[in-house]
Amino acid sequence: MRRTLVWLVATVGAVISVVPFYWMVVASTHDSGELFASPPPFLPGAELLANIANLEKTIHFSRVMITSVWTAIVYTALSALVSAMCGYGLAKYRFRGRGLLLGVVLATMMIPFQVLLVPLFQMMASVGWVDTYQAIIVPFLANSFGIFLMRQAFIDFPDELLESGRLDGAGDLRIFYRIVLPCVRPQLGALVIFTFMGQWNAFIWPLLMLNSEERFTVPVALNHLIGLSRVDYSGLMLGAFLATLPLALIFLLFQRQFVSGLLGGAVKG
Amino acid sequence: MTRSATRQASFPVRHPASPGRRRSGKAGAARRRRTVPWIFAGPAAALFLIFFAYPLAASFVQSLQTTDGGVPQWAGTGQYARLLEDPSFLQSLVNVALILAVQVPVMIGLAVVLAYVLNQSWLRFRTTLRAAYFLPAVTTLVAYAVVFRVLLKTEGGAVNQVLGMEVDWLNDPLWARVALIASITWRWTGYNAIILLAGLQAIGREQYEAAAIDGAGPLTTFRRVILPQLRPVVLFCSVTSTIGTLQLFDEPLVLTGGGPGDATLTPILYLYQVGFRQFDFGYAAAIAWVVVALIGGLSYLQFRYFGKERS
Amino acid sequence: MQKNHVIAGVVIAGGLAMSGCATGGAPVKEAPKIAQSPADQLSGEIKVWSWDVAAKALQRMAPEFEKAHPGVKVEVVDIGYDNAYDKITVGLKSGSGLPDVITLEDTQIPGYAENFPGGLVDLTGVAGKYKADFDPAKWAAASSGKGLVALPWDSAPVGLFYRRDHFKQAGVDPESIVTWDDAVKAGEKIKKITGKRLFVSDLTKPDAFTMLLQQLGQGYFKDGKVAVNTPEAVRALTLLKTLKDKDLLQNEKGWDGRVTATKQGKAAAQPTAAWWSGTLTGEMAELSGKFGVIPLPAFDAAGSRTSANGGSALAITSQTKNQNTAWAFVEWLLANKDSQVSMMKNEALFPAYLPALSDPLFDEPQAYFGEQAINRLFADQVRKIPPVELTGDDTQVQEVLKKAVSSVLLNGEDPKTALDGAASRIATATKRPLAQ
Repeated sequence: MRRTLVWLVATVGAVISVVPFYWMVVASTHDSGELFASPPPFLPGAELLANIANLEKTIHFSRVMITSVWTAIVYTALSALVSAMCGYGLAKYRFRGRGLLLGVVLATMMIPFQVLLVPLFQMMASVGWVDTYQAIIVPFLANSFGIFLMRQAFIDFPDELLESGRLDGAGDLRIFYRIVLPCVRPQLGALVIFTFMGQWNAFIWPLLMLNSEERFTVPVALNHLIGLSRVDYSGLMLGAFLATLPLALIFLLFQRQFVSGLLGGAVKG
Repeated sequence: MTRSATRQASFPVRHPASPGRRRSGKAGAARRRRTVPWIFAGPAAALFLIFFAYPLAASFVQSLQTTDGGVPQWAGTGQYARLLEDPSFLQSLVNVALILAVQVPVMIGLAVVLAYVLNQSWLRFRTTLRAAYFLPAVTTLVAYAVVFRVLLKTEGGAVNQVLGMEVDWLNDPLWARVALIASITWRWTGYNAIILLAGLQAIGREQYEAAAIDGAGPLTTFRRVILPQLRPVVLFCSVTSTIGTLQLFDEPLVLTGGGPGDATLTPILYLYQVGFRQFDFGYAAAIAWVVVALIGGLSYLQFRYFGKERS
Repeated sequence: MQKNHVIAGVVIAGGLAMSGCATGGAPVKEAPKIAQSPADQLSGEIKVWSWDVAAKALQRMAPEFEKAHPGVKVEVVDIGYDNAYDKITVGLKSGSGLPDVITLEDTQIPGYAENFPGGLVDLTGVAGKYKADFDPAKWAAASSGKGLVALPWDSAPVGLFYRRDHFKQAGVDPESIVTWDDAVKAGEKIKKITGKRLFVSDLTKPDAFTMLLQQLGQGYFKDGKVAVNTPEAVRALTLLKTLKDKDLLQNEKGWDGRVTATKQGKAAAQPTAAWWSGTLTGEMAELSGKFGVIPLPAFDAAGSRTSANGGSALAITSQTKNQNTAWAFVEWLLANKDSQVSMMKNEALFPAYLPALSDPLFDEPQAYFGEQAINRLFADQVRKIPPVELTGDDTQVQEVLKKAVSSVLLNGEDPKTALDGAASRIATATKRPLAQ
């Protein structure tokens, strides 16, 4: 009885979560025109390959994917490093300005991003970064969530281990890389998932910064399928579906760490 | 929740519980050296200083100015005074208050249930289910907009067909709000469930066993063991959802455009319209700072509550 | 000499940006003016931003311009329509990052011209001589108080597209429809017999209202005064309410909703601009032969039978470093019969340049429209589009009107009451007096 209920909830939840996504997949196998039938199609059609070819032709989807993948990887790697270091600094050292820095980290979470767009764009333009990759990577490397997450992870890290490292004559950086970081792999996993996800789906900022087609990321390129008097719905759905695959992959790869990472499991366990 | 996809990499997720915070008394050695902490905190601090300090200051100065006809003029607190008499802005506050009161509790309730279900060790396909629940949160915004419009169509829309009704989802003020709330819930329940799941897994097996020995049924176990343990994580989800709700932008933008009337307008959507469509950047900046103040105030209250519960 | 003025402007803009001017760009209050140099001096590279079919047209035409002017390079960038204005707004506001030439829809021109004075180059000096050659409504739209800030590109004359089969089935002769009263009666008959509504509209948006208001010769403002509650405005909204009350409006949200409903044949007609033919032929080829076009029904028997809905223009930004080449390109593309006809033929961009409209291309019957020469019909309307006053406050007005229009059409509020309320809100927000 109880198990039936659990199964029921699990299934209903999964169906509701997946149905809109399922329709996305179905839509990407139809011609744009067929999507407007009433009722809309709910079974896959035969246009998948044609749509793939078309997507490649209109927005160079393979190139766009490659750009998105490498910029997201570079961003994720750098941002995770910056966050981990800052989190460690905040957790394990007392220093002047620590409170202020924590306040800043908190504040950046509260600021609506939209209001920063113009001044930030101005800055990018004044250093000639418009339409460059660094403009979509560098400004947001310091990531409040990442810093918080890592700070929490490091707070529980036993000081005894640090002390013994010091007694062995290791420097602070060496202790950090050799002793501390390996212990918080799960939290790093969680950090990687969220960071990658954020960069992968980032839309408005790359849209503002990038002008050349050869530098477009996936969301920016997909946006080009929405025209003034014509919208390529099939292409949009297909692109969105394909864009989810790397995220799904990252999630499946890192999800064990991800779940326990939110807990700080490794150090405690 | 409702993390704006326009916002880069600022994830309102934090370590859920911080059990047994220890004073790092023995880190005294580090205290003596002033430079070492900045080796670690420096890069982030520098990045914040460069990329946030100026835009933040600029937006604050802007909120004290008007730019009628493109000429900046000092306005003092004039823009803030305007907000108090702006029916659209006040309506947008009412709308997010409604979402805070209705959507956030419902979503977190559902997320707790889903997390509880996912935590059943006998349940098969848990990995698949977890991925399924997480899927809505990773769907690209443009696709999300089109899919929901198709699903919510009045005639022939899948939702109406399933319900056997002919609801005018996006044009009726009440139903538009329902549709908005439902779509936010769809997008972020799984995300919160995954976070809550992490909290659930922190509860030791022995606590369940103790409850079982006491002869507690599943409901009693849930109430007596699980909920109290989960409280910090639930509160954490509430804080992030509060921030997300006050910054709500994507969903109303793509689903309803804030309409009909102002029924689904949110402060940030209004900020966007005022700034980017009407070019009233001073006013837009003022809206932003009011939202910041509201988030700060609410978060402070929740953090205080959060702290109290733990001690 | 005037070029120095521009350069000074650019330098000031750059300097302010770097010195951290918190209020952002548009530091030049006077719009920089342009002086034309002989064509043989043209050189350098210019960038043009556009979207959709307009971008395709530019990409096709640019090489021809380059061929005629060796040493000149024109790079066309398709920035996508959906968020194009976010990019343009940020570029104008920050005084940086914009290309030499940008595409603007007519409705957006006054807002940019008034809120970012000096952001766009004043073309009056070089383009003034073409005034008589352009659709007067478009010319008015591209003029901001101080001068011409963009050169009109495509016109958007409105007519009534109708379904031949639905009209026939209901026994309604489309040519018998002269006034909106006729149209309402015909609509009732069609609804009764075929079950089809008269046309598709998004009842939460003021677009249809705005189009009807222009047909009556009025914008949101009259001599700078708020005019959304004039008798004309009330008349326009009352017509929509009548249509709604008789259940003749198919309410659909957004662009996809309208395309879907049309494709499914939910409405027997659609009052919209010439460019709609491109959507019909592109998205619903299977409906070939089923559509026809008549002039828009008039409010009074002798009243205007058209309006405008859409259309765009090209503007030169003050951030350009190659003003002469930019202007030469714009002039060659838009104030030129050959290129306008070519873009009509290939991209269905309906010329606002009147000399182009005499081309035999417009007389060709079109199979999709039952061998009707719809472009001749539209071409004849272009000169007759009532010019209206557009202002930088129009976008703000639209937000207010959204609410007024939806409260009338969805909640049955009285048009006059709703528009009076909207007018006083607009007056407060824009600090303008009421016309009424």
